[in-house]
Amino acid sequence: MSVLELVANGLVFSSILVLGSIGLSLIYSIANFANFAHGDTMTVGAYSALVTFGAVGSLGGSVLGLPFGFFVALLVGAAAAAVVAVVTEKVVYESLDIGSIGLLITSIGVAFIYRGIIQIRFGADFTRFDITALRPIEWLLPYGIRITQHDVAIVISAAVLVGGLHVLLQYTDLGRKMRAMADNPDLARISGIRTKRITLVTWVIGAGLAGAGGVFLGLFNQLAPRMGFNLLLLIFAAVILGGIGSIYGAMLGGFLIGMISQLTPVLEMVGIPIGIEYSNAIAFVIMVVVLLVRPTGIAGEAT
Amino acid sequence: MSILDDPAGYWNDLTRAEQGVTASIALFGAVLLLGLVTGGLNPTYFLFLVGLAGMYALMSLGLNSQWGFSGLINFSVAAFFGIGAYGAALMTSDSAPILGGFDPLFGLVVALSVAAVMAVLIGVPTLRLRADYLAIASLGLAEVVRLLVLNEREWTNGSGGVRGIPRFFDNWPVLSTFPEAMPGLEIVIVPGRVIELGTPFYQMVLNISLAVIFVAASYLVLRRAHRSPWGRVLRTIRSDEDLARALGKNTYSFKMQSFVLGSVIMALAGVFYAHLNLFVSPGDLNPITTFYVWVAVILGGSGSNRGALFGGVVVVTIREGTRFLNEFAWIPFDTAPLRLLMIGVLIVLVMKFRPQGLLPPQRELIWPGAITGSETKPERHTNQRPGGDSNE
Repeated sequence: MSVLELVANGLVFSSILVLGSIGLSLIYSIANFANFAHGDTMTVGAYSALVTFGAVGSLGGSVLGLPFGFFVALLVGAAAAAVVAVVTEKVVYESLDIGSIGLLITSIGVAFIYRGIIQIRFGADFTRFDITALRPIEWLLPYGIRITQHDVAIVISAAVLVGGLHVLLQYTDLGRKMRAMADNPDLARISGIRTKRITLVTWVIGAGLAGAGGVFLGLFNQLAPRMGFNLLLLIFAAVILGGIGSIYGAMLGGFLIGMISQLTPVLEMVGIPIGIEYSNAIAFVIMVVVLLVRPTGIAGEAT
Repeated sequence: MSILDDPAGYWNDLTRAEQGVTASIALFGAVLLLGLVTGGLNPTYFLFLVGLAGMYALMSLGLNSQWGFSGLINFSVAAFFGIGAYGAALMTSDSAPILGGFDPLFGLVVALSVAAVMAVLIGVPTLRLRADYLAIASLGLAEVVRLLVLNEREWTNGSGGVRGIPRFFDNWPVLSTFPEAMPGLEIVIVPGRVIELGTPFYQMVLNISLAVIFVAASYLVLRRAHRSPWGRVLRTIRSDEDLARALGKNTYSFKMQSFVLGSVIMALAGVFYAHLNLFVSPGDLNPITTFYVWVAVILGGSGSNRGALFGGVVVVTIREGTRFLNEFAWIPFDTAPLRLLMIGVLIVLVMKFRPQGLLPPQRELIWPGAITGSETKPERHTNQRPGGDSNE
């Protein structure tokens, strides 16, 4: 495996992590708790897309080896994750008055409910989208890079989504309100921003992006009821590395953690005997170190 | 006044929640007894379940001393359980890749010492963190421990696990031959259903006595510790750490002591599990165990040791009861995810309707003498009558 190929894989994996990290960071700062159900929200998105894709089929043409039907399924998956998250917020979180720690524990219960329902319906086994696996792109092979058009599609789609979020945050009224609220909820409320509405929008955006990330994760690897929960700690690592509450920090953190976890084989190439089986462990250790040395993360303001 | 002198008065003196819990325990006990008597429930298997309940009760007691008393959100319960189980397994098993063949008692000491050292190592960086960061960091470090156990094959035999663990009492003078020496019994209470009590049953009896010893010892130690000035400092830290610091307490040191104590009790549960199951594998370090124990503690009531015992029993009932459901053919799916769903619903319901848990701490935190000496009588249903100590 060449380093270039590892970088390419890292780029694809990073795209998925970034989509997950943004939502977790948004919800962490606005709803003010560590949402342990976020990973399973990604799983909800992935399985909703699986069902939709099975129903609508391929719909004629295709882009980058992906039929149009897949993009419909992607939208449905993101929408389903958003709906599920908003319903959960309305039914469970909103009425609770037990502080951020109580919400954290509750969110673990919510995560189990999501996963339990998915597993009852689909079983515990791995599944795949019914899309033919592609051969690696020919003209990149001489450089030692084996990636498929699907991987390229993941990176481009993630870039489009993240770019769209950037425009939303920087150039629209809604985005300004969201940033104000992430910065200081009390100040935002006193300035006349309807904070409840913004909180709901935050859940929609955060969970929608997570749902899309879940669909891509299913395309990149496979679908399994545990897929989201397994990714959750990496997403936490990314969010903490970037700085909780900072959306751009979450993007950067997701990118770095994705790269680090896929570039683990480089350690063995340079003679450090840490195998690829420890790629997650490295990310977790980085997370703990960041928490100790700079709890505000890369992009957070130093206190 | 004890329950034997005046059952009605004792009953009236309980809080509403205690009455409910006592009644459901009695009902549950009656159902189990019926199952045992009619032969529907194998007594050996029943004792195995009691052992599992004891194991979860131990872990809940450990977590309770961390979360319930000091407010430490420790999500690495499974890791310490695993360290205890692997410590005991590697020390005592004949087929262990390293060490092996030592006496179980020696294995117990080594496993607990390793757990204490690991607790200090994990505690030094994480206990300074904010509460929610501690949750994430401890879950991450627990995953690191699990990955190490899974991948360091020359030490732990990797995913194959460790077999050949002796029973705890195998080297003891009388107890080692006790199961074989006891006569096999066949009891028929309901015609056609024979209840066999053979060697496996008596082996299980030994296991259960071990569990009872472990749980009782931990319970007594914790109860004593939590009523002491040391325990009062911990509760102060939980409700207001700055206050504790302002009073001149080194809160970091107190949190560390509490963390190590709780972790050692979790490792004790692991040691018991290794000698009960006679096989350990990296799957035992799965984070789901951590969340089971969390359910037990928050359901029982954070800070309440008897709540932790109760929660441990409930969790085993859910865990094993859903396995039992598989025998009903009309349920059209595997019931394993149902377990997950029930645990999730239970967490959400408890947090929504009774965040303090079913048996929140009451009298158990107060020295009996302190109530006797007070001049004002507490109201009815506070369960804190003057001099009312004898029912504990």
